[in-house]
Order: sequence, then structure tokens, then C-alpha cells
Amino acid sequence: MNRISKRQLLFFLACVAPVGKLALLPARLADKAGGDLLFPALLQFLLQAGAIFCVLLLAKRGMSFFELLKNTFGKVAACVLITVYALFLLFAALLPLLEQKLLVQTVFYDTLPSLVAFSPFFLFAVYLVSKPLASFGRMWDILAPLAAFGLAGILVLSVGSADFSALAPVGAAGGKGFFEGTMSAFAWFCDAALLLPLLGKFRYEKGLAWKGTLAYLGGGAAVLFFYAVFYGIFREIAPAQLFAFTATSKYFSGVSTLGRIDYLFIFALSLVMSFWAALPLQEAADCVLEAYGRPRGLPTLLGVGLSALYFVLSVVLDFRFTEALDVITGELVWIFPVFCLLVPLLLLLTRRRRREH
Amino acid sequence: MNIKKFSRTLPMKLWLLLLGVVLFSFFSNDFGLVDIQKTAIILAAGVDKTEDGFSVTAQIAVPKGSDRTTGGTSSVEIEAEGETVSDCVSLIFAKTGWVPKFVFCNLIVVGEEAAKSDMIGALNYFLRNDYMSDSCLLAVCEGKAGALLSSTSAIDDTSSLAIEKLFSNAAVNSGKVVPNSLKDFAISYYGVSESGYLPYVRASEQEGGQNDHAPTSAGAGTNAGGERDEPQKVYIAEETALFSKGKMVGLLPREQTLAFSLLTGKVSTGTFGAEDAGKPVTLTVVKNGGGVSLDLKDGPTAKLALSVTVRLCCRSITAPVEDIVSDSVPSPILKSAKAVLEEYAETLFSMCREAQCDLFQFKRMLYARSRKDYAAWKDSLLLALRPEIEAKVVSMK
Repeated sequence: MNRISKRQLLFFLACVAPVGKLALLPARLADKAGGDLLFPALLQFLLQAGAIFCVLLLAKRGMSFFELLKNTFGKVAACVLITVYALFLLFAALLPLLEQKLLVQTVFYDTLPSLVAFSPFFLFAVYLVSKPLASFGRMWDILAPLAAFGLAGILVLSVGSADFSALAPVGAAGGKGFFEGTMSAFAWFCDAALLLPLLGKFRYEKGLAWKGTLAYLGGGAAVLFFYAVFYGIFREIAPAQLFAFTATSKYFSGVSTLGRIDYLFIFALSLVMSFWAALPLQEAADCVLEAYGRPRGLPTLLGVGLSALYFVLSVVLDFRFTEALDVITGELVWIFPVFCLLVPLLLLLTRRRRREH
Repeated sequence: MNIKKFSRTLPMKLWLLLLGVVLFSFFSNDFGLVDIQKTAIILAAGVDKTEDGFSVTAQIAVPKGSDRTTGGTSSVEIEAEGETVSDCVSLIFAKTGWVPKFVFCNLIVVGEEAAKSDMIGALNYFLRNDYMSDSCLLAVCEGKAGALLSSTSAIDDTSSLAIEKLFSNAAVNSGKVVPNSLKDFAISYYGVSESGYLPYVRASEQEGGQNDHAPTSAGAGTNAGGERDEPQKVYIAEETALFSKGKMVGLLPREQTLAFSLLTGKVSTGTFGAEDAGKPVTLTVVKNGGGVSLDLKDGPTAKLALSVTVRLCCRSITAPVEDIVSDSVPSPILKSAKAVLEEYAETLFSMCREAQCDLFQFKRMLYARSRKDYAAWKDSLLLALRPEIEAKVVSMK
């Protein structure tokens, strides 16, 4: 069976997709919106939920993403469009990848490790990219409970240290803080865009659009609760806490007696994040393969090529991460709403071309 | 080999090759794991102000012999001066060849001069350090922090471990000490109140103490190992340094430190003195539930509520044996205790106001409640606040 089941898809939306928002984004939102960090995040979740609803409705047509484009715009235009989309996915892959690299280097080492410390990730990415996209469904069966276990564990250990009065007064960041927070958060909210290449890999069942959207919003609620805990613990110094989910649980009273037991949950989430970071690469490769054919050996070759490219990028951007982040979430941030919100909506609104007989 | 067959088995071969590369990288130590022999495990850091910048004293753990009769932790103190704390840390690396590792650093002591002139400058490096725990304890000391860390403790081989004992949970429950961490101090500084507190450590000579510990100091400016004839020290942290806008602005004596602890409701085993028919009496706090609030109804009012349940700990008057068995406290002593606690709290409030230190975070309370009121009062709140202090002292049944 080479399809993603309904359960696997819901697991992805409810448990795996939220994991990508637990590392750098909380600090970024706290920097822009202070104690109002929940509001830009809430708006993003609602926007994405709408876009996911659109994508799941598109699944009713029973076509893959490429077939959908081909059916609407013709083969040549579809090839061009899917290539552009693959380029977007490669662009979107940069942030989670650099985020994951920095997290591993900072959290799992006690002094700055050498560059090769993160290189096994790229070998892992080669393997993932060479596998068919539908294989992710089986991975989500394992990753979703792991993500739920990790986030629940971290929340249980952290919630006692939080002072939720830190979130008051509501609206202190003003419209500017809300706007800046919302804009910079776009780079982390690509969930609908990641769902599009999965079209055709799962079968639409009655009510899937609603169920998928609700599952996503459920995961989003857990993330928002985590943000509240995070800001309740760190208050004014929250913008300096780069890897939020690794920082909140260490103040649990048992940690001083038992040691960093919270690392169990941190490792679980980090593992899920590794798959999350590799997903856009795999989808980009899949888009290309679907459009231009899938000769034997090409998936592996693409995997090696993309991983090598991102390895080089990670080395080049090693000490320029902040600049890269500023560009991705600043000058180039408009790319994300175009592909993550506009494309699903436009695809839903465009009519099928009539077949010429 | 058949090309078709080879192409079919290529992925597996590739994985094996890549696995080999990873294993080779790992076992050749190319993952950059830090060699323990080349690493300075810093237990504590002392920061002092110098004419040109700062001086940092790092107390570094050194391995002890495997002799089972020797316990504890040995250490050396390395001192370096520079324009910034970062320069000092780099110089420690240059002097020793050991990579300074702050991941196990549980204590930062800042000298009084540095605390009074540039506390945030002294702490900035530690706040930025990704590899340092922000739950690390923070303290101010009398004189130089370097001298404190280099002193010989009467109770432990390593001075920092002796100082950390002062901040144990038992000490917090006694209400005599109010420890603070790097994280909480930073939050209070960067918050709207811009005020905080730290325990103030003094070292005093232990009379008749002999130094029979292992060598504890080597490096710049100190003895390079060997027994030293330095007097043994004991440490006390019953006073509390007040901070406003990143500078030390006052010092709370032990009585006001206790009042602060009681107001935050943390005390469960502390003692304090009152009067019993003109003679001293000591009471034990068995239960504590204080609180501080802000009221704006009739002008800004600070409500300081102390609530303690006490029992007799020590009486100076002659009493029958039934008195020793009984836990209940006579009402004149309760009255005296109430007066004592109210006086402690009143002095505490006026000391904070005088030092312009918003110790109780009134500005934060106001900011969280109403931005409009905050804008109106933020500059004059501490001076305008009218204290309303009430102590409730009840006897244990």
C-alpha cells in the first residue's frame, strides 16, 4: 500500500506540523510582539487552517498536485509551475534546516562543536529524499505519538514555573507589534503548502476537510498554550531564549534532584523536527520527479544533490544565521503567503479545463 | 558485476558507504567532542571591576586522586583582567590552554564595586552565553569576588561549594537568605520595574581554624599549589543587595531580609526575636502566607500583608515545665511579635523607597493592570506610594 491513510494525515496535521513552531518562533514572536505573542500566532494558525481546508477540498478531485496543474493549465505550464513550486519548497526548507542545525549545535553540545557534527542529518536527508513521498505516512504513525509525548512532557514539567500574569496587559505591543509578529511568523507557517504535494497520495473521505482543519487547530491550541507557558517563564528575556522547547522545562523542581530528565522529551521533539526539516526537500524532489518522470536512480541522485547543496549552504551560513533569518523573515517573507495561502485558494477557485475531444 | 544488478543494489551500497563515513568521523573524534583533559570545568566565576574594565576569577575543578579517603572537589582559581568579561574569559583560555566550559557553573559572584557601577556589564557575557545555564545562582559580595572565591573555606575544599550551601532550600525556608538566579535577576532588570535583589555574601575568619584541606588555589596572582597558611573562612549571606537600573543601590540588613522573605510567603522554619516581659524571646515561624498588592483607589497604596503562625522556640524567663511542653504562645508575646514584624516591614519599605528600588515590582503590577495608570504613575509611583502594613501573628494551637 503506497498511500497515506486518513489517520496518518490527521496525525501529521495535529502532531507533526506543530513541532516546527516550537524552536525559534516563540522567541521571534516575543521579540516582535512581547506578551502579545499569542495573537500573531493565533492569526497564523487560523489562516493556515483555512488554507488547509482548501487543500483538503482539492483532494476531492482525486488528482495529484501535478495532475491538478496539468488539468487546469496544460502540461507545459504545469511543468513550469511545479518547478517554481519545487523551488519555493527548497527555499522553505532552508529555515527549518538551519534552525535544526543551530539547535543541535547549541543544545546537545556544551561548547561549539565542529561543522561535521550536524552532517549526519544530510545523510539522513539523502535517504528520506530517495524514498517515495507516501512513505511519510508510515513515519507519521510513529512520529505523531512521539511528538505528542514530547510536547506533553515538556508542558507538564514547565507549566508549574510559568506566571501567566506576564501576558498582561493584553494589547501592549499595539498594532505594530501584532503586524510585525504576524509578518515574521509567515516563514514558519507552510503547512498548507506542504500538504499540496501530498494530493493524490491520500484518498478523500467524507468530512476529511473539516476533520483535518480541526486536527490542525487542535495542534495549534497546544502550541499556543506552550507559547503562554514560555512567556510566563521568561517574560522580558523571552526574545533571548532561542530554542523555546528546550528551555522551559529545566526549572522543574525535580530536575535539580534527578538531573535533566526533560531531555527525554527534548530528544523526542528534536527527532520529529529532523523529519519535519527534511519534508520540504523530499516534497521538492517529488514535485520534480512527478513532472519530469522517475527513472531508476534519479531519486537517490536528487537526494544526494539536494543534501549536498544544503550542506554547503549550512556551512556558508554557519555564522550568518541571523542575517539569513532576517532576510527570510523580512525582505523575502512575502513569498510564504503567496505559496501557502494564495496558491491553495486559487487552485480551489480555478475551474477544470474541459477536455478537448 | 552485472550493471543492472549493480544499479539495483546501489542504494544499499551507498548507505553502507555513508555509514562508514559517519562511523569513521565519530571514532576519529571529528565530531568535535571536547576532550576533558583540555577543558576547564568552571564551578564558579567571580567578576570584579578594575580601572580598565573587569577582572574575572574562574574557579576550575581539578581531578583529585583516586584515594578513597579524600572526598569533595578540588579547584584552582585563575584570574584574568580585560576590558570586558569576554576578554577575561579569552585570557583564561590563553593562560591555561583549557577551553573554559561554563555548563557546570552554578555560581556567579560579583564584587561590590562592580555591582555598584556596572552590574549588567558584568553579567552581559553570561546572559549571552548559549552554553551556560541561566538557573545559575547569582550573588554580590563584600570586597572583591576574586578574593572571596580564592579564600579557604572552613567547611569545604572549594569555596564556591561552601557558598552554594548558603542558598539551600533549608536556608530559603528559614527566611534568612533570599537567593536569586541569573534568569530571575535578568527578568527583573529588563522588566518595567528595572529593580531586583541579590544575596550579599560576607566572609569572616573562622577563629582557631587550621587549613588542613588539599591545595585549592593556583594560577595568576595566587600560590601554585601546596599548603597555604591562609586563615579559614566561613560565609554568611543574611543581607540582601538592592538593585535599581542595573546598579546596586542599597543593602537590606538581616531583619529586613527576613521581612522580605515573609512577605513573599516562603518561610516555614525561620526564627525571629520578640519581647517577653522585657526579656528576649525567639519564635519559630511554622506557617507563612504573606502578600503584597497595589491599590489605586485613594491614591497609590502599597498593601504589605504579613501572616505568620508561630510557636515558642526559646524563652528567657523562668517558667514552669508545662510551658516547655505547650506550643501555644501567650498573647503579650504575639503582640510584641506583631509590632516587631510591622516595624521590619515598615523599615524595609522605606529603605526600598529611599534606594528607589521597586523590590516588590509595584510598577509591573500597575503595568499589568492598566497601561493608562502606568503611564500616569510610572515615574513617581515609588515616591507616591503610601504603605499599609499589617502583620497577623497567630499562635500554633
